[in-house]
Amino acid sequence: MRRGDALRPAESSGSNGSRRDFLRRNLQASGLLGAVGALAASGPNVRAARSSAENPFAYDVGKFERTDPKFIHYEETARFKSPRPEPRRLALGPEGALHVAAGDSVVRLGEGGGVDFEIALAGPAQCLGVARDGLLYVALRDHIEVFDARGQRTAVWSSPVSKTWLTGVAVGEDGLFAADSGGRAVLRYDRSGRLLGRIGEQDKERGIPGFVLPSPFLDVELHRDGLLRVNNPGRHRVELYTASGDLELAWGRPTAAIDGFCGCCNPINLATLPDGRCVTCEKGLRRVKVYSALGEFECVVSGAESFAQSVPPGVSMAKAALDAVADARGRIFILDPLAGDIRVMARKREGASS
Amino acid sequence: MTPRSPGEGPVSRRNFLRNGARVAALTGVGAVVGTLVHRTSSQTTVWQIDPLKCLRCGRCATECVLDQSAVKCVHSYDLCGYCELCTGYFVPEPNALNTGAENQLCPTGAIQRKYIEDPYYEYTIDEALCIGCGKCVEGCSRFGNGSLYLQVRQHLCLNCSECAIGRVCPGDAFRRVPVSQPYLLKTSH
Repeated sequence: MRRGDALRPAESSGSNGSRRDFLRRNLQASGLLGAVGALAASGPNVRAARSSAENPFAYDVGKFERTDPKFIHYEETARFKSPRPEPRRLALGPEGALHVAAGDSVVRLGEGGGVDFEIALAGPAQCLGVARDGLLYVALRDHIEVFDARGQRTAVWSSPVSKTWLTGVAVGEDGLFAADSGGRAVLRYDRSGRLLGRIGEQDKERGIPGFVLPSPFLDVELHRDGLLRVNNPGRHRVELYTASGDLELAWGRPTAAIDGFCGCCNPINLATLPDGRCVTCEKGLRRVKVYSALGEFECVVSGAESFAQSVPPGVSMAKAALDAVADARGRIFILDPLAGDIRVMARKREGASS
Repeated sequence: MTPRSPGEGPVSRRNFLRNGARVAALTGVGAVVGTLVHRTSSQTTVWQIDPLKCLRCGRCATECVLDQSAVKCVHSYDLCGYCELCTGYFVPEPNALNTGAENQLCPTGAIQRKYIEDPYYEYTIDEALCIGCGKCVEGCSRFGNGSLYLQVRQHLCLNCSECAIGRVCPGDAFRRVPVSQPYLLKTSH
């Protein structure tokens, strides 16, 4: 045997490498290389999904991500994409026109879902409300801008204090209520922009505990019964105030179970149905539910299993916060900023299977 | 004696020793150069975790070459909500909001909870107990502000040329940072 023959096993074993053997060996090698390449090319999310199954320290809320079907009383009747990227909040106009605050603009959608008009803003719209006369109130972080029904700006209401962070707007016949997360209060204005008072601040004599806001999620809704619905996420409840600031009722409890509010601080956004029932949006376990006017858990609109639950690393919670509005027919529009979708949810007919 | 191929002469003891000495000298020079190169790079950069890429996979606790990982949970107090129901401290559905072991999420009890004023509590990491598993980080990030996050603690890290955790990190969150700025801190700004 010559030196180096050991490097040629096919010859040393006495069999010449046939074309078939040669091709088979190369196919096997390329298959192995392909598998390695596919693994290397898989994105972090694919690898993360694999790793979470192996993680002995996994944070497991899986049982709370599945909703008992008997609680789901709504079904999706339509779904469409947000007309602009980075959608944040929804509002309904007097004729039921849907307004979407997205990026640095507000878009009003027409009957067919097309863009009716668009208002460009100097910064991101945090929240918005539409009056019965069609005036549009858009809150940027520290001030409110007023637009007429044609989208022309008619006024700017400056910030009352330096740390204002407006995160909710409700418009009534006589005034406007703006939820200020930075100041931990609901600001009451008249329609000309004059500040009339502050609602919800801690006041032991009036039995008001004060808002606890670990993150900027303070929302306000005004129902036709005249009472404001305000979330108090750090206390895991919804509070009902008169326009003059008296606390009339509070309900809600902390629990990851379906009848309560999960995590450190929920609910984050509210809507009211025509009969006074309250729609709540949660983060962490992203889900939308309905409570009676007195705060008894009634049903689920969209359960946690119907939304992507993990917010991608680096994406702020504010950019993943669900929002909802309810129209005069009792339909609920849900904005999912992570997916960029708006869902239209209607109550299931009696006897419809879940 | 080992049979040799025809044409190759016998190796004398002198040649054998001389060749051996050469090989040893070259090996020594290579080792010195390698060490110098490694020290130069490791003195200018260190390993750190980008908290915006971290997926809280648990591997920081299991893959570090140290017996107890050099990765620890750190707390950004200016991001914290000081929540009574801290999802980094409590299991998802605690029996009660108190310091009972059964209510705590951390497998080693490394988070201290201190009452500040109603309804606020302060949470502090005991690094001697923290194993860097990231369980609290996931709880805080999922429900809260993400004020708890993982960092390589430089006084513990051996600064291996190839980080054993970084090699398997599913989020590609490990990267070299200048030794003058060895942490990637989260702030509210």
